[in-house]
Amino acid sequence: MALSPFSMQDHITITTLGLEFAMAVALGTGAGFWIDRKLGTTPWAMIGGLLLGFALAMYIVIKEANRLKKEENSAKDKK
Amino acid sequence: MDISHTIAHHILDHDLGVTLGSFHLPITAHTLTMLGVSIVLFVVAVLLSVRGKSLIARLLNTLGEEYVAFMRDGIVVPAVGKEGIAFLPYFCTLFLFILFSNLAGLIPQMKTITSNISVTGGLALCSGGLIVYAGIKTHGLWGFIKSFVPGGTPWWLIPLMFPLEVISLIIRVCVLAIRLFANMLSGHMVLLSLLLIIFIIGQMSKMAGVGAAFPAMGLEIFMTFLELLVAFLQAYVFTLLTSIYVGLVVHSH
Repeated sequence: MALSPFSMQDHITITTLGLEFAMAVALGTGAGFWIDRKLGTTPWAMIGGLLLGFALAMYIVIKEANRLKKEENSAKDKK
Repeated sequence: MDISHTIAHHILDHDLGVTLGSFHLPITAHTLTMLGVSIVLFVVAVLLSVRGKSLIARLLNTLGEEYVAFMRDGIVVPAVGKEGIAFLPYFCTLFLFILFSNLAGLIPQMKTITSNISVTGGLALCSGGLIVYAGIKTHGLWGFIKSFVPGGTPWWLIPLMFPLEVISLIIRVCVLAIRLFANMLSGHMVLLSLLLIIFIIGQMSKMAGVGAAFPAMGLEIFMTFLELLVAFLQAYVFTLLTSIYVGLVVHSH
């Protein structure tokens, strides 16, 4: 099968990763921007939020990559 | 000709509401379309489910059974497993509702309600609710909360991992809404922009406008067929992603 070793579900999940990455960074930056406006700490909370968002985005990507690696290995073991 | 006004008129929602005294009933073009889609879906579901002996009734019954079998064997069971069959009615409704909502935008004078972030946000919230419900139903409340922390995590990392996993779940739900919204909105903006090319060029020279009409209409027809494909594809992707997320929660241990 052309999609092997990944299933259709995995391919759809992979295409969503980019959007999840962008969303995590945007969410962190947005939360930081909101805190800055409330506390008047411009731009420090936004920079902190951006970095935290980026860290979360990397965590999501690494976790998904690990899950896919596990699936690939289990598919190979079945063969 | 104000191009931005024309695009906004076709894409944005319009308030058609009535004011009764101090109370404003917010009926909009999108809510009317959603009501129309719901009525059509209800009629279709009744037609597919009512048993009859005539050839058409039997054909419709078979069509309904094939659809449910496709949702069960093609989407839900591979992603969630046998546990997912309990949630099959939600997935069947979700797919048909998104598909009909997407297709409604291709009918003249009707609006694409899935190009409204409030509609896709509502659908994503329903899916988010199902993800949480499936997790609690499978593992119990405490088991579901524990499933947010991956197995083997040291105790001192738990205060960091738990919020990360909760925010990841929220991001997944947000992504569901944004993906459908962005795809449907951009498709319609491309359709409108291609059509408006004729008038933009026509303002410079009428003959050039007539000349531009042929390639623009060719592209318009191509994009309309592409939109038809996208309508099916996005309904499928939204349903499949929801089932994958439910599967991840159900099989978290």
